[in-house]
Amino acid sequence: MARLNLKNVNKRWGNYVAVKDFDLDIADQEFLVLLGPSGCGKSTTMRMIAGLEDVTEGEIWLGDRMVNDLEPKDRDISMVFQSYGLYPNLTVYENIRFPLRVRKVPKDKHDEMVMTAIRMVELEQFMHRRPAELSGGQRQRVALGRAIVRKPTVFLMDEPLSNLDAKLRVSTRAQIKNLQSKLKTTTVYVTHDQIEAMTLADRVVVMNKGEIQQVGTPTQIYDHPANTFVASFIGSPAMNLIPGTLRGGTFTGDGITVTGLTAPDGDMTLGFRAEDAEITESGGQIAAPVYAVELLGEASMISWRLGDALVSVKTAKDYRAETGQMVEASVPAAICHLFDTQTGKALPR
Amino acid sequence: MARPTNAQPLPLMVLSLGFIALWLIAAAFPFVWTAWGSFKVEPDFFSRSDWTNAITGVQTIRQTGSAFTGAGYEGAWLEQEFWKSVINTAIVTLCVTVISLTFGTLGGYALARSGYRYTFWILIAALIFRAMPHVTLVSGYLLPFFELGIWGYLPTTIIVLVAINQPFTLWMLHSFFLSIPKDLDESAMVDGCTRFQAFRLAVIPVMWPGVVTTGLFSFLLAYNDFTVTSMLLTQENQTMVPKIASFLGSTQAEGKVMYAVAAVVSAIAPLFVLVLFFQRQIVSGLTAGAVKG
Ligand SMILES: Nc1ncnc2c1ncn2[C@@H]1O[C@H](COP(=O)(O)OP(=O)(O)O)[C@@H](O)[C@H]1O
Ligand SMILES: [Mg+2]
Repeated sequence: MARLNLKNVNKRWGNYVAVKDFDLDIADQEFLVLLGPSGCGKSTTMRMIAGLEDVTEGEIWLGDRMVNDLEPKDRDISMVFQSYGLYPNLTVYENIRFPLRVRKVPKDKHDEMVMTAIRMVELEQFMHRRPAELSGGQRQRVALGRAIVRKPTVFLMDEPLSNLDAKLRVSTRAQIKNLQSKLKTTTVYVTHDQIEAMTLADRVVVMNKGEIQQVGTPTQIYDHPANTFVASFIGSPAMNLIPGTLRGGTFTGDGITVTGLTAPDGDMTLGFRAEDAEITESGGQIAAPVYAVELLGEASMISWRLGDALVSVKTAKDYRAETGQMVEASVPAAICHLFDTQTGKALPR
Repeated sequence: MARPTNAQPLPLMVLSLGFIALWLIAAAFPFVWTAWGSFKVEPDFFSRSDWTNAITGVQTIRQTGSAFTGAGYEGAWLEQEFWKSVINTAIVTLCVTVISLTFGTLGGYALARSGYRYTFWILIAALIFRAMPHVTLVSGYLLPFFELGIWGYLPTTIIVLVAINQPFTLWMLHSFFLSIPKDLDESAMVDGCTRFQAFRLAVIPVMWPGVVTTGLFSFLLAYNDFTVTSMLLTQENQTMVPKIASFLGSTQAEGKVMYAVAAVVSAIAPLFVLVLFFQRQIVSGLTAGAVKG
């Protein structure tokens, strides 16, 4: 019973628009990730759901309650903050018990609930320590434990992994995914890291400048970016984008010609992913001097400078070429995406 | 070369130890001298013939038969009723500290957490009030207080001292609160607290050292004040500091000045106890590394 509904939610500070016309239905038990560059309004959206920020316009529905005017404590949500927000004067055990205490859960249930949560986040050994005596990853798990202890209807997590080092981030990410699939609690997760978004999400909401750019499963977002922003934000490397014109099914840009496209004539931006294209001996759609060869470990990346655009193609890890050497790449129409240069919107394929 | 690498070179160590010794002497000497001399008679402590009399107590032995005398204390506390001033000081400092801290914590928290621009101007106004010499405020108060018939009473003085002290407590606590991440109170609110509960249960426990430190400064301001208490209190409502000043002002009778010396020592002693008692709270590292990763 924990559907979350945002109906045309707006947030403004004076003239500054932080979130614009945010309209979204989040299903029960869904893991939804808000993804976007820093400053695009992700945290603001989440804080409005939590009740820490007033909604300027629009409505937020939690189940069948309109929660706009409810205090955070009355919304039955829990939140993990980027800097964890642990109570420094309390032990791990007391930190996790805090929500039960202030919500007047009967005392005799506390120990069982707290211990269940502590076991889920694997902190048994540390439960009598204070936050100052814990590592970053352990603090992060305390925050998680505190969020799950009272079984809220919605979890909110604001960049919970961003203070951890790369290795710990991977394992904690898996732990979060595991916890959520066990608890089946509707979750909204904020991140600027597309890998986190791709690995965790049932659905991703890509945001930019306060506006939703695209909503979809990780695969949809990756395979069918709705506009040039999403195309250039998702994937590593991001999609190659080359400006040019389309005449009679033939796209022409600086140093590239692709035939066999089906779209009306006009100014277009052509996009394709580095891993979809291939290096070829002859007859390639790109033929230009190599700008750089980068070794990625599992592959090599060849890049060209076409006009202002830097274009990359992934190839076998033992491929070698000199900078400045002529190299060709095949970019068949089948792997290409077309975007209207004016609006940035993807054209139907 | 078995010297640990972090040891200071010898000359530097001698220099820094010398400085500390010098500072200790400069700071502690007046107090020790006064405390010692307070048990002597006036012709010794203010000896015209030989300053060592103040140490040996030649005149004291001649007058009382012993090298130490409690005459100064007896005269000040009983004859001159210094104990009344002690009680007055206790009332004034306690009230000023409690009231300033109450408003300071609530106001400082509100200002630190409010996103509005006007908080800046409130704080600037507070700073200006703080910067003014106290006497400018007091002279303005005198006439209205006479007219209203509230001049000379302790509560009036308490209110004025709070008014003078409040900007400082507000500033100090405001910056303490700013150093506590907003995440802490927001966590508490999401966890089920009202704004006030979050303040009480999550923020205040972390703030404790800040509150103690600010409270100590408020205490000292009220305790040491001369300008306000000397101008706004009647003879019988006087606190310690103006009382001591009045002893010093009446040196015609021999021995009176020793009352002042004894009273000064009586007034200083509690401060030592206070600072020693609270130093641990002041330095307590409750917040260290607790909230950030
Ligand atoms: N209290 C505030 N007052 C004014 N502007 C704010 C406030 N909080 C956030 N903003 C602005 O709103 C924008 C979105 O912020 P935020 O939601 O925190 O971004 P992010 O996507 O990085 O989480 C930012 O440009 C930020 O400067
Ligand atoms: Mg953010």
